[in-house]
Amino acid sequence: MNEMKKTAISLNVNNETHEIVSNPNKTLLEVLRDDLHLTGTKESCGEGVCGSCTVLVDGAPVRSCLTLAVAVQGKEITTIEGLRAGEKLHPVQEAFVNHHAIQCGFCSPGMILTAYALLKENPTPTEAEIRRAISGNICRCTGYAKIVEAIKSLAEEGR
Amino acid sequence: MRLPPFQFLEPTNVEEALSMINTRKETVKIMAGGTDLLNRMRLRLIEPAFVMNISKLRNIDGIDVGETETVIGANTRLKDIARSPLLNKRFRAISEAAFLVASPTITNMATMGGNLLQNTRCIYYDQSGMVLNGLEPCHKRGGTLCLAVKGGKRCFSVYQGDMAPALIAFDARCVLEKKGSTRTVAVTELFTGNGATPFAIGADELLTKIIIPQPKGMFSSAYRKLRLRGSVDYPLASAAAFVSVTKDKEVNACRVVIGAAGASPKVMDGPSNEANWEGMAQKAYEYMEAVDNLQMPGAYRRKTVSVLTKRAIKAVMDRLKEGM
Repeated sequence: MNEMKKTAISLNVNNETHEIVSNPNKTLLEVLRDDLHLTGTKESCGEGVCGSCTVLVDGAPVRSCLTLAVAVQGKEITTIEGLRAGEKLHPVQEAFVNHHAIQCGFCSPGMILTAYALLKENPTPTEAEIRRAISGNICRCTGYAKIVEAIKSLAEEGR
Repeated sequence: MRLPPFQFLEPTNVEEALSMINTRKETVKIMAGGTDLLNRMRLRLIEPAFVMNISKLRNIDGIDVGETETVIGANTRLKDIARSPLLNKRFRAISEAAFLVASPTITNMATMGGNLLQNTRCIYYDQSGMVLNGLEPCHKRGGTLCLAVKGGKRCFSVYQGDMAPALIAFDARCVLEKKGSTRTVAVTELFTGNGATPFAIGADELLTKIIIPQPKGMFSSAYRKLRLRGSVDYPLASAAAFVSVTKDKEVNACRVVIGAAGASPKVMDGPSNEANWEGMAQKAYEYMEAVDNLQMPGAYRRKTVSVLTKRAIKAVMDRLKEGM
């Protein structure tokens, strides 16, 4: 068994600095859920395929199950909890609710963050661009039509 | 599944990185995007004592398009390669290959160097310990048999990188640095052809740059691939085609490089005066190692690689016609 030393890790999550002491082999997903109790980020496949664990690192959607927590120190991490303003849902979240783009909800945090990043970069994406952007987020309820509709509604508004 | 224990290293510059791998050699694994490495570690296929994160080394990323050659830093994200208008214009196969890697979320993380140096795969190897414990050790696990090919005297695991075929189509070279020295080799020379130990790179070497020479005259390229799920999977067969023409619009070079065809990409140079897609497709069919060791049958992958070869050459010829 290899040696491992616990290390101090400082993470900027949702504009708050969190200091933890942890083993370097912990993924960002594990730290978010187990240490910071931000359980909005979901674990599903655990191998970077499904997109349930998507979070934003410096604004770009990444797989938190394939990211070492220790490697993203100094970066801005945004989880689904960081999207809303107080009790008010973010417009992307609202659009998902209004378009019934949520069934079991397990893919929703990753899907919403991916949609948020897309709209931030390209406020008026085409349907093909939307489908391409969310292609790495798998919805096992197969609710893609509603998800695409929700994102399209925001694209049409240019938000 | 949790990752195995390791010590984490994070150099701040290339010299420090070279020094770290020079003293630790085989005990250290280099992590760029981490999308391939962490899964291999999770399956306990490798359990390095040290993981060295190079993702913050800024002086080995970026794209520099020059008149005689284009340099792509090993740390450049695939997303940036796919989106580069200059690369898309000059080296279409390379930007198409980057665009077709997994999904956008993965290409936000994955790098050119990491994609190029990803290990070979086989359904009898890329499994958790629970599955592997029930199997006899194959060549890749230090044994003496192949579970995919009965009586196989070597490892038939498959190299499934997307970038290598496209880079080889352009005769790209790569820069390998180690403490005190640097060498530049053709991308083809990175590969041993042996699935058990697929790369001819020292444990103390770091891939820092890819150099793509500017082809002469009018040329174009294309990349096509087969995968199970369009958004996430590795290629099960792929073809990168490059064709250049003279001022008189005669074909003077036609090269196709097929991927997921064995332990290394296979290069096929066509007759110098034509882009004969039927002939090249037949060659691709013959060069493909049709082993049943990936998610689709070898025979199907073999048939498909010849189709992809035709499609890639046809796309290039259409692009050349548009440009003429």
